[in-house]
Amino acid sequence: MSGPTFSGNLQQTTNYKVVLPFYVYGAISFVIACTLLLFNTDLVQLHYFTPHTLAIVHAMALGWATMIILGASHQLLPVLIEGKLDSDTIAFTTFYITAVGIPILIYGFYIFHSGWVMQLGAILINIGILFYVINVLRSSIKSSTHGVHAWYMITASLWLFTTTFFGLLLVFNFNYQLLPSSSVSYLSIHAHLGIIGWFLLLVIGVGSRLIPMFFISKYTNEKVLWIIYALINCSLIAFVIIKLIALPTYFYYLPLILAFTGIFLFVRHIIKAHAVRIRRKVDEQMKTSILSVFQLMVPVVVLLLTLIFLPMEQHTNMALIYGFSIFFGWLTAIILGMTFKTLPFIVWNREYHKRARQGKTPAPKELFNEKVYNTMLVCYLLGFVSFIVALSIKNDFVAFGATLALLLAAILYVFNVGLTVFHKAN
Amino acid sequence: MSSVCVMTNDSEKCDFALVGLYDVYDPEVGLNVVDLGLIYQIDFIEDQMRVHCLMTLTTQFCPMGDQITGDVTGALKTAFPDWQVEVELTFEPAWDYSKISDVGREFLGQ
Repeated sequence: MSGPTFSGNLQQTTNYKVVLPFYVYGAISFVIACTLLLFNTDLVQLHYFTPHTLAIVHAMALGWATMIILGASHQLLPVLIEGKLDSDTIAFTTFYITAVGIPILIYGFYIFHSGWVMQLGAILINIGILFYVINVLRSSIKSSTHGVHAWYMITASLWLFTTTFFGLLLVFNFNYQLLPSSSVSYLSIHAHLGIIGWFLLLVIGVGSRLIPMFFISKYTNEKVLWIIYALINCSLIAFVIIKLIALPTYFYYLPLILAFTGIFLFVRHIIKAHAVRIRRKVDEQMKTSILSVFQLMVPVVVLLLTLIFLPMEQHTNMALIYGFSIFFGWLTAIILGMTFKTLPFIVWNREYHKRARQGKTPAPKELFNEKVYNTMLVCYLLGFVSFIVALSIKNDFVAFGATLALLLAAILYVFNVGLTVFHKAN
Repeated sequence: MSSVCVMTNDSEKCDFALVGLYDVYDPEVGLNVVDLGLIYQIDFIEDQMRVHCLMTLTTQFCPMGDQITGDVTGALKTAFPDWQVEVELTFEPAWDYSKISDVGREFLGQ
């Protein structure tokens, strides 16, 4: 008599050793970004182009959002491209090089050392991201199918590299005249390459796959996802062209309407998936993710109101609210929710993968503390709303209180990430 | 709406196998693999003392796939310790929501 056998074509998941460092790095960066904000709440009264604001924005955009999303995308890549991650070694290289580059760049911004400090940080980040793009492309090429989700992932990774490469040019442009104008005049292009091309495209690609999956919803509409893909990409390309050739303000309505339509269709897609879900009870993590989908509308509305009601010279006043609602609003909310939908699975697989039928195993959601999660969410929402108020009335005191709440949310987030990552099977 | 439907060539032994499989859960959904509709077929090849289980997962990219198939193998091995257990994974036909049993739908709040 021989032992049990198994046959089938189960898709290999990504090695947890590749993914976990990104999550831990991102969590620590979130605390650092909130701490930096706590010591610089006076920025609510300043122009967005100040060294400390640049440092905080890059701590949020690169250290927090990009590193977590890079980790999640390495984990979710097999689901999106319907293939396996090409190389763990390249993924490790992406992590180590980017992880070294980010603090150097942030330090460079903080002290505004536009020479070798910023340049070294930017170069390292570009090398790290280039490795990531190579890994995504190689994985996609080797995959047998190339559905819409794969295209979201491939395109988003290419936009990410475009963003970091353009950022590198801007850093060098501080000291060498590489571009026709000063770096400040290109900041909105650099920012939107990242926000629309990288974050928005990837979040929609991943969200449209994962959110219905977690709802156990039968709703799917690949045609709409292709339309959203086209709208978002056209919006970004239109914005860059309009900005580069300096067309009048009313031309900006075109990319805004394209992006708004894309986001609206995505929101509608999620609402439809939610309506026909089989799993009626929606957990707190999914509620946070749904909240983030609606938070996505905040920066769009801010932008629309700015274009309609404010004269051109006052547009910079709204830039901080716009940026804050993206990095501390939409992106942070989706990460807070999705971390505890993906990370527990990764750790659960690490700990219980080879323990089939060796006693009862906890559910993935039991790997973190739900009460701490709920408290974190309350602190986060309190901090987010208060900070928007602080920015609107330009009040340091309110900003300080709001940042304390955000910092507490970040600490609670790190606590729960630590609880999950260091979980050991009994 | 549907009840549990598992094809078999021996309904008596299959019922015995299902008792064990009702204890195997999809950790994310919290529902057992039988009511979730993951078990397609269980056949018993008497002369070879072999149990063959054809099953699926909710998605080919299920991060819990190894665990679930391992648990199914273990449950069948416990139910039939003297038999050789074979678990075959298939995605044709792919799992869909219609495969969830009445009890499963009730559990999920439908």
